Amino acid sequence: MKISKNPFELAPAINNSRNLILEQVMPLLYGVILAAAVWILWRGHHAPGGGFIGGLTALAATAAQAIVFGVPSALRRMPLGPMPLAVTGVALALCSGLPATWFGHPYLTHLWFDVPLGFTQLPLSTVLLFDIGVFCAVWGTLSGYIFALLRGSDATSPGEQS
Amino acid sequence: MQATDLKPHAAKARYLSVALPPLAGFLLLIWGLIHHPLPWQGSLDWAPSLGLTFAVYVDGLSAQFLALITGIGALVFLYATGYLAGEPRQGRLFLILTVFMLAMIGVVIADHLLLLFLFWELTSLTSFLLVGFYHENEQSRTSARQALLVTMSGGLALLAAILLLGEISGGYSLQALIAQGPTLADDPRLPAALILLLVGCFTKSAQFPFHFWLPNAMTAPTPVSAYLHSATMVKLGIYLLARLDPALNHLLLWESALMSIGTLTAVWGAVLALRERDLKRILAWSTVSALGTLTLLIGLPNPGAGLAVAAFLFAHALYKAPLFMVAGNIDHATGTRVIDHLMGLHRAMPWTAMAAILAGLSMAGLPLSFGFVAKDLISVAKADAEVLTVVSYATLFVNAIAAAVAGIATLRVFGGPPRWPRGEAHEVSWRMALPPLLIALVAIEFEFLPGVADPLLGAAAIAIAPSLGVIRDIDASYPSGKVITATEITLLVGLILFLIWDWLHGLLQRIHWLDRIGPTACYELLLKQLTRVAAWQTGLLQRGRLAGYLSWTLTGLLALAIGASFAMHQASEPGWGGLLDWSTLVFADWPAQHWAWLTAAVLMIAGAAASMVLRHRMALLMASGLVGYGSAVLFLFTGAPDLAFTQFAVETALVVVAAALLPHYGAPPVLSNEPVLRNALLALASGAGVLLLLVHLFALPADAQLATWFGEASLPLAHGRNVVNVIIVDFRALDTLGEITVVMFSLLAALPLLGALARSVKREG
Repeated sequence: MKISKNPFELAPAINNSRNLILEQVMPLLYGVILAAAVWILWRGHHAPGGGFIGGLTALAATAAQAIVFGVPSALRRMPLGPMPLAVTGVALALCSGLPATWFGHPYLTHLWFDVPLGFTQLPLSTVLLFDIGVFCAVWGTLSGYIFALLRGSDATSPGEQS
Repeated sequence: MQATDLKPHAAKARYLSVALPPLAGFLLLIWGLIHHPLPWQGSLDWAPSLGLTFAVYVDGLSAQFLALITGIGALVFLYATGYLAGEPRQGRLFLILTVFMLAMIGVVIADHLLLLFLFWELTSLTSFLLVGFYHENEQSRTSARQALLVTMSGGLALLAAILLLGEISGGYSLQALIAQGPTLADDPRLPAALILLLVGCFTKSAQFPFHFWLPNAMTAPTPVSAYLHSATMVKLGIYLLARLDPALNHLLLWESALMSIGTLTAVWGAVLALRERDLKRILAWSTVSALGTLTLLIGLPNPGAGLAVAAFLFAHALYKAPLFMVAGNIDHATGTRVIDHLMGLHRAMPWTAMAAILAGLSMAGLPLSFGFVAKDLISVAKADAEVLTVVSYATLFVNAIAAAVAGIATLRVFGGPPRWPRGEAHEVSWRMALPPLLIALVAIEFEFLPGVADPLLGAAAIAIAPSLGVIRDIDASYPSGKVITATEITLLVGLILFLIWDWLHGLLQRIHWLDRIGPTACYELLLKQLTRVAAWQTGLLQRGRLAGYLSWTLTGLLALAIGASFAMHQASEPGWGGLLDWSTLVFADWPAQHWAWLTAAVLMIAGAAASMVLRHRMALLMASGLVGYGSAVLFLFTGAPDLAFTQFAVETALVVVAAALLPHYGAPPVLSNEPVLRNALLALASGAGVLLLLVHLFALPADAQLATWFGEASLPLAHGRNVVNVIIVDFRALDTLGEITVVMFSLLAALPLLGALARSVKREG
């Protein structure tokens, strides 16, 4: 492999040597980013956020994991794997519109329920199901792209745990 | 296991159950016809907001087709289990055949024109798969593509016709359209609709000049030919013509087109049958000829023709399907279908021979057969209609050829001293011998027990010609001397043609220019030119270089921007004055967040400028990331936090992933021959174009109706304060569903490409 002598080239740092700081931080960071992603998904109905942005944020966790520890490691930490996750997402979104037809409303009319928790009310809806579907579709598809690209570059990092 | 595969006739009885669905359908139909008077109708709302209903209307004509589809279908399925015994892919064939059958049923029972179109196209698609079933054979692929292109182009014409008819009549219900009838003629759009409709029907039913696909489709397995290309699919065009005839038969254009094209097709198909040596292709050409006769009959103005159409439709299906099966049996037993090599098969294949003779009787129109009744009704219809003499002679000729073809398929192949290429010929299994015999027997039985067929044919005839009134008894008219004479003449001419068949064949074979002109040659030429144009424009537009794609995109953007600006300007004040009025872009006073805006602008300009100067990939990546962050900042301070959020996330992910990837793809290629000046000019021009567009967009009065509505309705209707998200997941959820589906499928399409990229990188590395 050709390695440029240009000082801008970051390649050796990422590829040919282990990045100890990232390797130490990553396990914790992965969980934090993922939690943030879920939080963004949850708040999305009232504040900036939602399934699409949440999915992109979750993708950041997966991408970082793949870059630091390699694709197989990122695959293990992901639910289902890219394509099945994307398909599940689309299926969830498709199904979220069905309950309305049971009650005689047009397809994709969203329904709301309030679940009493004692101290407060938990608002649940088919909208949430739809948004989770969007989340999964975006997360799954884009990580599929990233895995394919990283695999293509033969970027199995030396720090990969197996 | 291996041994059974080598001996197809010994193969275990598999897939016998596939014949059950059509059989059940047939029995259900019979039960329904006995217990419930026609018409049956019903409808189911499908998408009421779009006016789409699953409307069903079954009258005599539909019932007749249903009987053909399910009755002949059951026997064809049975036949196919024998014909394809040992074929590893027969499961696939039965699946497609079943889908085809359902689509056929859909077409003939649909009352909604768009529903009809949907099923119509489904039959074309399944027909493509069935014709190309032996796809390892090139001839088979070519024929399948030809059938698809011809019938699907016709389908497009039909769609246009349906939309026009829908506009004219104000609805898509077939029955409503027919009921409007003569009042349609006042509309000036009717001729266009009629021509498109005729093209659609003519392509499906192989009328001149679209007839050539049908004989070529004989590369399909024989059960498919017997089912699709004789009994059902090719009659769909006839079905629709007959269905709409009551509404349109007072129009001169309709009548003259049907009569002229029908006659031409009938004669031409009959002549071309003489040029063939392959039994199956001979039968296919005679099918083209019969379809022409049907078209001609629909075009006849008098109501009696309706009865003739119904009878001939039935008779043709009942003799042609068995004859195709006979051809398949001969092929199976002897390994050839070329008539020169076949003689005297009656000893080796007695049951097949009997089926052939019974079907042949009907095809030749001999007494004691249903074909005779049909021919008789055709003669009566034509006598009533006072048709042109030339049409009369044409039918005489066509009938004579049909009789000769019947002679070829029976006397020539089965009679005389035994002669065939293989050492031993044997009778085929019962599953292949029984179906043709049964169908042929039904035809004979109808002649002796007309009471069975009369009600159905009568109902069908009334559907085609409502003014027919009281149905005449079908067998009442054959003692008339005129018909007997016509039959005698036809048979005599047919006999002569049969005897001089080889001489005629040689004569026609020598006329080579027939191959060079005509519709087939036109089709070939069109196909060749199409691929040439496609290659030329692909080479022009897609040079395989990102810079090339970008310059086309920018050129398009420029043209669009200038065109749109000009159109907007013309709409507000005609003339050239004030085309470049910049005042709309000037703010009277600075907005509150102008510092943030300025920062964003500086970020973006710096990023863009840097990317022009820098040469290193990683630096270029950073510079382009700067442009993305700049626009995210801009979104953040113009009231679009969601968009800004997304932009930040996307930009970061892109830069990080690209940074991890870039080193693996080697050094950037040196671009020495890039037209720098041209690219720069194009970039400047497209920037200016967008600016011009903005000037005019800002001059438009702002319409805040939608924004206000969404803002107000978001919380009460959708329980959410984030309007953007509410729009995405609730108000326009269907759009989002489409988008995430596209996103998912994009991965499916990209994976193989990325895999190929990975392999090529590995090879180079």
